[in-house]
Amino acid sequence: MNKRMDLIDLASTPDGQRDFVAHLNKLCDTLGVEHATYFAVNPISGKMHGFTTYPDEWKAHYVHHGLQQFDPTLRSAARSVAPVDWNRLTNDTNYDRVFRDAHDFGLPSQGVTVPIRGMFGETGLLCACTSTTATEWARLKREIIGSLLNNAVHLHDTVMNSEPLMKTLRHPNLSSRELEILQWVAAGKSQQDVGDILSISPRTVEVHLRSSREKLCTISTAQAVGRAVSLGLILPG
Amino acid sequence: MILVIDALNRHRFGPVIDDMFKLRARVFHDRMGWDVTVRNGREFDLFDDLDPAYLVALDDDYNVVGCNRMLQTTGPHMLTDVFQDILCGEPPLRSATIWENTRFCIDTERLKRPGNSRSVSYTACELMAGIAEYAFESGISDVISVVDPAMDRILKRCDNAPYGYIGKTVQMGKTKALAALSDITQERIARIRNFAGITGDIFADENEVADALAARTAGDAMTPELRDYCDEQVAAAATDDERQAALALQEKISQMFRSGRDCNA
Repeated sequence: MNKRMDLIDLASTPDGQRDFVAHLNKLCDTLGVEHATYFAVNPISGKMHGFTTYPDEWKAHYVHHGLQQFDPTLRSAARSVAPVDWNRLTNDTNYDRVFRDAHDFGLPSQGVTVPIRGMFGETGLLCACTSTTATEWARLKREIIGSLLNNAVHLHDTVMNSEPLMKTLRHPNLSSRELEILQWVAAGKSQQDVGDILSISPRTVEVHLRSSREKLCTISTAQAVGRAVSLGLILPG
Repeated sequence: MILVIDALNRHRFGPVIDDMFKLRARVFHDRMGWDVTVRNGREFDLFDDLDPAYLVALDDDYNVVGCNRMLQTTGPHMLTDVFQDILCGEPPLRSATIWENTRFCIDTERLKRPGNSRSVSYTACELMAGIAEYAFESGISDVISVVDPAMDRILKRCDNAPYGYIGKTVQMGKTKALAALSDITQERIARIRNFAGITGDIFADENEVADALAARTAGDAMTPELRDYCDEQVAAAATDDERQAALALQEKISQMFRSGRDCNA
């Protein structure tokens, strides 16, 4: 198994000054894809959030022709549970309508849509695409798919938290087991130690930590410990 | 073979979904006595409206012989809601790379009928391998499964033992329920395949299945009421003789419908 886990940190830029397009560009560079797009609708305010690295000419063409109403990489793919390879969408009646135009603009047809389900049942998506052979695309997708999933949810949570009301509603809801494990990590214990102390497998410790990082909107365990301390959820080690 | 059904292709497999809901009613309501809502002989709930992914095990004649339901743990799923008791009221795990597997079941009754080429154990393993392979392909690294103790024993027996459990085992109807964690790795997939002797691709091509189902429907013009009646007779048979008689009746009636259709044509 040869999966990469590159998670681009969104916390490094101060609130209110976040440049999500720059973030997507960084994601593209890190994962080795050409373009990335994020889209979601805030379930409470109804505000639409969309960012993309596509060139301006394509964006103008896309909006002018209202392609978002037909684009199968958005509409149907967002309802999937698993990431949707764009190969699967070729039978969609609207596929040609969008992809013929995209082809004319020299844009890739190899891509994947990662659907996101948020805490309030809202959906979002992260698309990544690149021009390459089918074989190379299959290899690359396998390598980056886990990173795409983690980045998609991290980006989505950050975008949703960018509105004050949502931020209040989304106060991190950690289980007592997750807090207990974070507290042991703050005390300097390794995953193996924590597993031994709590009589659970190291992998169970790991899934609790992974879940805690995600709930706290952080990318590393150290960051999660820091945030949990600052929120008063655990005591300083 | 395993057919993956989700929001993108669900419209093509209405009868498969219907049979799956009927199987779930027999397993979770009739046999396990869980507090699930059965309407018109079918078990489905609000999570079926959230565009889940289903893995459906089909036999050689495209009958449903097993199924499960997958949801992301980042959004609403059963452990946030109806299975809260298992977590003692605690919030569930949330991760982009963890899926929740529920309503995992096998149609032991159909598989044990004489003439069925697949065993219960093989079908269970095929479905488990399908779940692991589909999740692996999707970038998922762990699956949390809500199962009853009998299914937990089957997992262990098939060299597919969970590496951990979350929360506690709670009483649910006539049986119990618990939440088991499985890592999604090539090693686990190889273990399940090796145990059952599964080789080659287990996933069905959705176009082939759709074509085969369309051909079968065209030949089988029996009314839904009669089909349900025949299914009930087969299910209610107490002895092998009664079962054979019920199957013969089912075959005779469907023949009559087929020939009737030909006469009209």
